[in-house]
Amino acid sequence: MSAGNGPVMRTDANMADPDGFYEAWVAAHEGLSDEESNDLDARLVLLLANQVGDPRVLLACIAEAREQGRRRP
Amino acid sequence: MSAETWKFAPAYELPHWPFVAPPDLGAGERIRYPVVIAGGGLAGLTLACDLALRGVRAVVLDEDDTVGVKGASSRGICYAQKSLEIFDRLGIYERIRAKGITWSVGRTFSGNDEVYTFNLQDESASQQPPFINLQQFYLEWFLVDRINELDATDLRWKSRVTKVENEADAVVVEVETPAGRYALEADWFIDATGANSRIREAMGLEVNPSRSTDRWCITDVRFKTPFPTQRWTWVDAPFNEGRAVWQHLMADDVWRLDYQMAEDCDPEAISRPEVAGERLRAQLGADVEFEFVWIGPYQYRDHLLETFRVGRTLFIGDSAHVVSPFGARGGNNGIQDAANLGWKLALVLAGEAGDDLLDSYHAERHPAAVENLTVCRRTARFLAPRSRAEHRIRRAVCTLARRHEFARRLANTGRMAQANAYPPSPWAKAGARSVQNVAFDGTTLMHCLAGGTRFLGLAFGADAAALVRLDELAALFPIDFRRVDAADALAAHLGGAAGTVVIVRPDAYVAATLPEATPDAVAAAMRDALGMDERARLAAVA
Repeated sequence: MSAGNGPVMRTDANMADPDGFYEAWVAAHEGLSDEESNDLDARLVLLLANQVGDPRVLLACIAEAREQGRRRP
Repeated sequence: MSAETWKFAPAYELPHWPFVAPPDLGAGERIRYPVVIAGGGLAGLTLACDLALRGVRAVVLDEDDTVGVKGASSRGICYAQKSLEIFDRLGIYERIRAKGITWSVGRTFSGNDEVYTFNLQDESASQQPPFINLQQFYLEWFLVDRINELDATDLRWKSRVTKVENEADAVVVEVETPAGRYALEADWFIDATGANSRIREAMGLEVNPSRSTDRWCITDVRFKTPFPTQRWTWVDAPFNEGRAVWQHLMADDVWRLDYQMAEDCDPEAISRPEVAGERLRAQLGADVEFEFVWIGPYQYRDHLLETFRVGRTLFIGDSAHVVSPFGARGGNNGIQDAANLGWKLALVLAGEAGDDLLDSYHAERHPAAVENLTVCRRTARFLAPRSRAEHRIRRAVCTLARRHEFARRLANTGRMAQANAYPPSPWAKAGARSVQNVAFDGTTLMHCLAGGTRFLGLAFGADAAALVRLDELAALFPIDFRRVDAADALAAHLGGAAGTVVIVRPDAYVAATLPEATPDAVAAAMRDALGMDERARLAAVA
C-alpha cells in the first residue's frame, strides 16, 4: 500500500466504455486456436502492464488476480 | 422423472373488432387520404393515436381483427420510461400502470452469487417509472380502445395490403378485405407491418438480416410467490446447466421465465411441457404451484433497413429494425419511431413545415437503430460465448465482479432501453436529447405537450417584458412559451439558468438550448428545427 494514499490498485469503475472494450477484446480472439488465444492474452497483459508502469500497482494486480482465482470459478 | 401433471392456464380471451365495409368499396374512383398506416401493432397503433390527437385522421389497415400476433402468446413485456411518457401524453398511461408491474431494480447473478445490481430510479426525474412490465397484447388493446374513444382514426380490420405503388405525388395502396378489393391513395404511407414486412420486400429493400445460433425457451407461467418485482438474470444459472436465465413478472401473476438452451438442442423437445416443467421445478423447488401460460422456443435475429424513408413511404418499428430481446430495445423503439414521426407528419400536412422535415425522421431514428443494434449485439455476445477463450474472458469478468465495481460494469445481461440521443443534423445542430416528464408549476411537461402540435419554449427566469417579446414568435412558428422559475426542478434537469430558453419539440426532445436567448436566436432555432433553412439551402443547390 502507498503511504496514506489509500489502495494502490484501482478497482472503481475507470473505463470510459466497458462494453466497447469487452467487444474489442472478444473480437480479437476470433478465429484463434485456444493456445493462440492464451498467447494473445499474455501479450495483452504485457502491453497493458507497460501502460501502468508502477511496479506497486502491477504487483497488487498480480496478487489480486491470483487471490480471486483461489475462490471457486 | 416426476409423475407430476402439468397444468395450462385457460387461454386469454382477446377482443375482436368488426370489419366494416369502407366507402372505398364500390366507389367509382380512388379516395385519397393524408396518412395510411399498414399494420396495427405497437408502432402503427401508437402513430395512429398520436396523429388522432394532432387532428390527423389516419387510415389503419390491419389484416387481423384482434391484438397480439399469436393470440396471447409472449412478445414484448418491458415498457421503458420514454414509452410510458408517450402513453401518458396519449392518455393510456393510467391504464398501463394499473394493470402492469412497475419496477426499476435489475439484479444479475453468476452461479449462486450476485455480481451486479442497478436501480434505474436513481437517474429518474420523471412522473413515470423507469419500467412497467405488461404483456404486449394489453398495450395494443389499450391503444385500440383509446383510438376508438377518440373517434378520429379510420381503423380498418381484416384489411390486408396486397400491393403498394410509390408514385411521385401519392402512394397507391391495394387492399384485400372480406367484402372485396379496393385501392386507395395516400399522401404518406407508413409500413408498420413488422419484421417480415412483405411491403418492404416487394420494394426490394435490403435489411441485412442475421440469425443467432443461440437458442432460448420462453416459459410464461402463472404462480403466486413472494419473489420481488425485480428483473433477475443469471449469466450461468446452476439450475439451468450453467446457462442464462431471465425472471420477470408481468400482469396477472404471470412470470416470464426465459431459459437459454444448448445450441444443438431440439427445439420441439425442450419446449414439451414435461421438459419445461422439470426446468421450472429445478428453479422454483417442489412446493410452488404453477400453471403454464405459454411455452415457446426461439432464436433471435436482427436486421436494419438502410433508409427509413423512400419517397412518400416511411418505415417504422420492426419493419425498419429488429434487435435481440436483451434490454427491451425492440417494441420501445417502435413506439419511439411513431412519436418521432407523428408531429412531423402533422406539421407537414398542416403546411407548417416542408416535407423534407420527414427526412429528419430517418436522420434521427436510423442512428438510434444502429446504436440499439450495437448495444444488443454486445449483450448477445456476452450471453453466448463462442469459444473457450470467450468463456474464460466472461468467467474472469464474473469472478472479479463479485468483488470489484469496475468489473461489474463489464457484466452485460442487457443495457436497458433509454430514449436515444440524436446526432447533430440540419434540424438539430447540436443534436437532440430527450427530456423526462418532469413536474413543474403544477403541471408536467407531457401535459404541456399534449394539446395540438406545438413546440414548448421554456423561458427560465424570464421577466414579463421578455416573455411578451417571445410570445410574438408564437404567431410565426408552432411554439408556445412558458416562464419557468430558474430555481425549479425542471431547470436543474435541463440546465436552464436564468435567461436561457430551452426549446422542447412536440416529442419531448430538446431542439435547442439558448443561453441569454434573444427572440432572433429563438426564431433561428425554430427555422432549424422545422428545416426551413435546410429547405432554402436545398432549393439553392437545385
